[in-house]
Amino acid sequence: MKDKEPKKRIGLFVCHCGINIAGVVDVEKVANLMKDYPGVSFSTNYVYVCSDPGQQMIIDTIKEKKLDAIIVAACSPTLHEKTFQEAAKLAGLNPYQIEIANIREQDSWVHSDKDKATRKAVKIIKAHVAKALRNESLQPIKVDVKKRALIIGGGVAGLQAALDIAEHGYQVLVVEKNPSIGGKMIQLSETFPTLDCSQCIMTPKMVEASRHPNIKLLTYHEVESVSGFVGNFKVRIKKKPRYVDEKLCNLCAECEKVCPQVVPDEFNMGLSFRKAIYMPFPQAVPGTYTLDEKNCLGLLPVRCGKCKDVCEKKAIDYDMKEVIFEEEVGAIVVATGYDLYTMQAIGEYGGEKYEDVINGLEFERILSASGPTGGVVRRPSDGKIPKHVVFVQCTGSRDTEKHNPYCSKICCMYTAKHAMLYKHRVPDGQATIFYIDVRAGGKGFDEFYQRAIEEDRVLYIRGKVSKIFKEGDKLIVWGVDTLTGKKVEVEADMVVLAMAMVKADGIPDLLRKLKIQSDIHGFLSEAHPKLRPVESLNSGFYLAGCAHGPKDIPEAVAQASAAAAKVGDLFAQKELLHEPTIVTVNDELCSGCAICITMCPYQARSLDPEKGIAVVNEVLCEGCGACAAACPSGAAQQRNQTDEQIFSMLTAMLSEEEHV
Amino acid sequence: MKVHYYPGCTLKEKTTNLDNSTREAMKRLDVELVEPEGWTCCGAEYPLTEEKIVGLAAPIRVLRQVREESGDVLITTCSFCYAVLKRANKAVREDPLKHKRINAYLKDDIKINALTKEKTTGFTEYNGEVKVLHLLEYLRDAVGYPKIRSRLKRDLKGLKIAPYYGCRLLRPQKEVGIDEPDNPHIFEEFLEVLGCASVDFPFKQECCGSYLSVSLPDAATEASYQILRSAGLNGAQAIAVSCPLCFYNMDRRQDRIREKFMDFTGLPVLFFTQLMAWALGVEKKVLGLDQHFYPPDHLFREEKKAEVVL
Repeated sequence: MKDKEPKKRIGLFVCHCGINIAGVVDVEKVANLMKDYPGVSFSTNYVYVCSDPGQQMIIDTIKEKKLDAIIVAACSPTLHEKTFQEAAKLAGLNPYQIEIANIREQDSWVHSDKDKATRKAVKIIKAHVAKALRNESLQPIKVDVKKRALIIGGGVAGLQAALDIAEHGYQVLVVEKNPSIGGKMIQLSETFPTLDCSQCIMTPKMVEASRHPNIKLLTYHEVESVSGFVGNFKVRIKKKPRYVDEKLCNLCAECEKVCPQVVPDEFNMGLSFRKAIYMPFPQAVPGTYTLDEKNCLGLLPVRCGKCKDVCEKKAIDYDMKEVIFEEEVGAIVVATGYDLYTMQAIGEYGGEKYEDVINGLEFERILSASGPTGGVVRRPSDGKIPKHVVFVQCTGSRDTEKHNPYCSKICCMYTAKHAMLYKHRVPDGQATIFYIDVRAGGKGFDEFYQRAIEEDRVLYIRGKVSKIFKEGDKLIVWGVDTLTGKKVEVEADMVVLAMAMVKADGIPDLLRKLKIQSDIHGFLSEAHPKLRPVESLNSGFYLAGCAHGPKDIPEAVAQASAAAAKVGDLFAQKELLHEPTIVTVNDELCSGCAICITMCPYQARSLDPEKGIAVVNEVLCEGCGACAAACPSGAAQQRNQTDEQIFSMLTAMLSEEEHV
Repeated sequence: MKVHYYPGCTLKEKTTNLDNSTREAMKRLDVELVEPEGWTCCGAEYPLTEEKIVGLAAPIRVLRQVREESGDVLITTCSFCYAVLKRANKAVREDPLKHKRINAYLKDDIKINALTKEKTTGFTEYNGEVKVLHLLEYLRDAVGYPKIRSRLKRDLKGLKIAPYYGCRLLRPQKEVGIDEPDNPHIFEEFLEVLGCASVDFPFKQECCGSYLSVSLPDAATEASYQILRSAGLNGAQAIAVSCPLCFYNMDRRQDRIREKFMDFTGLPVLFFTQLMAWALGVEKKVLGLDQHFYPPDHLFREEKKAEVVL
């Protein structure tokens, strides 16, 4: 066996990592023992190999000792593999000749017996020597970048990302499934903690996005499928038929007047009505009518056709069809927002039964000057001005047993805002808030909450609500005041539930199309919770806004801008470098059984129709090795992780030769 | 068809009219109710509150007896017995330690019996084989609503009844719940099958005071008052209960309620099987309406339509 070993000059650097490793592993002994091990030409130990002097030592040693490969016995490769690869490059060594032997996470951190841990370190290093002897020098795979971004979702986060990327000078496509951009923010009345009108700050952004030469708005469109890879995505987009030509429509509103179909208005959360041909709200962008085919009496003009008859501009076309087209983009920002937890999920609050038990978004519409009541606070059941409104925070949030375990983050602040705005509109009214605790950690947030209590005399009761029911004209709210330990019963005219934020309805479907991951609640997963908060684990996908988790407007905007900056980073590169440690196909061994194709999570493998064997798209392959493990003939081999390498590592690790 | 039936102490002693109504009604649906031999009190709430193994032995002893008589289902009409039997059964099924210890107690039973009766019996462990059902569930799933509808002899149209679930039919949901605890509908469905209108009222899942009736009668009085009042406010002519203890608290306590709450004028309380028996054509005297504190006689008229002014 020994004779067949490839020849290389390997340098070994054993790191102390302070006492992280040296406290348990006898690093000096390890370095000494490995000095004479076959293949190792140089061996030393150092207190922090990742430090500047440590790296310099590596660079100098590579040059001085003419090393062909090095092994750094230190922490996990996820932390410093890149650091040492860069150092090796500086010394003129191919970065794929660097091996990291993890003797921290897999050894010193999980053991306490010094002697055994030291022996284990030696075994780990020996295995890596075996691998290093067989490592090939590799060159990264180069890929072109399509400098054009796709934003999914036209809410505040999506538009911010679009505007920022457009300002960087790149083309942007914004796909929005609704007839207008604006998202949830355009539905809000005023925003905390400054109480500035939401529409007033949102509409300029919407207009800017619609006029920006680099932005193309695709409203009433949906993403059908996504294929390709970072820098080179192919996106199929479905254009839903609007039945109104947006260029011809002059908003004369004649069609709306004659339309006989009246349906609940989604923009006003069902608190008012619209026609089947409608404009979602006056500032809608694009400014056009949309015919909603679900509620239209029939697109056949024989059945109704009233709107078409009155349209002077001939903008209405019943024959419009769904169109699917393909676009090429280099990066995708997912900004699909959120939805609210449903009333049905919380039976004891009676939201389904009682019209006057509403959610926060419905109350926003009631407060809004453009809302169904023109900004006068009236309750939905009879239009009376409620003299006592009870607000319930954490409805469906922070409940590990029955609902969502997480905090929806914005409810404390918007409930304080709701109570405050209510008091401004109905000064003789009473606002009572049930809360678990008030989370007002944000700029100016706690001051805002204090203002609600002190200036606007909002009554805060610390405790949960157990039940809401109707008696006569009143809603009875049962709760507990945990500060006095007593049960409280409050008579209210209206109850506003601060419903939990949950994943947007279409998320599971979208995740399947994009093949990106979410957490168990359906919020998209970031690549690293602290250091890579706006990137998805799949390269080329970026996250913005509440699709990623509950957040308020400033945070959503900040994240959108960060995502845009990341897209800018990507587009600033001439070409992308892809890891060369992919899984290849040995033409002679491959039988074309196609097992690897079904195993590949990245659609990187396909069957060559002529040769009848598997082929790899090098750029799509992420080097996960699933195919290599599944391949029955050994045709699929991962570069620098071949079967031979793995077996040689096992042999080295399990050999009886004792050096300790 | 024969099926095992556990009346429980209250129905057997204090409210025999409710028990009789159940038996008569079930006969009309071709179901004969058979009591397990030598059944004892289930222990009411106590075996569950104290978590002592010996207390759980009582309900399990009953369930084991059902199995020994080759029964696979045990029906009860008392929400309390239902909850106790079902939860004890679940404990035996899912908790290996409880299973072992309870069976150890039951094994001792056999020995004692063997001594007195001078015969030895083989003991097989009880593993939770018997299914515990409340009669409402049994009517829905085993008998089926279409069958009940086809046997109806009287028209209850016009009767507005508030179904009262109380606590034990629904909670704890994971162990007992026959329905969604916050939005139940099985009782409403049942009443509508009988032909009467069910009245929704917000207190249908609130506790009636239960055994506080003994230790803190004022609390039970107030709890029952709130329920009766709410049902009345929502237009019910009577409240229907599925538990004899709820029946006791709400009907027999109405004198105390009247003393304490001046606005209370009274509301008839009916057991769900009384309504069923009546609708199925059972004679009025079986229902024992004279045993009610608040006489509901006016609701049970032979005419097609019951017109009642409260």
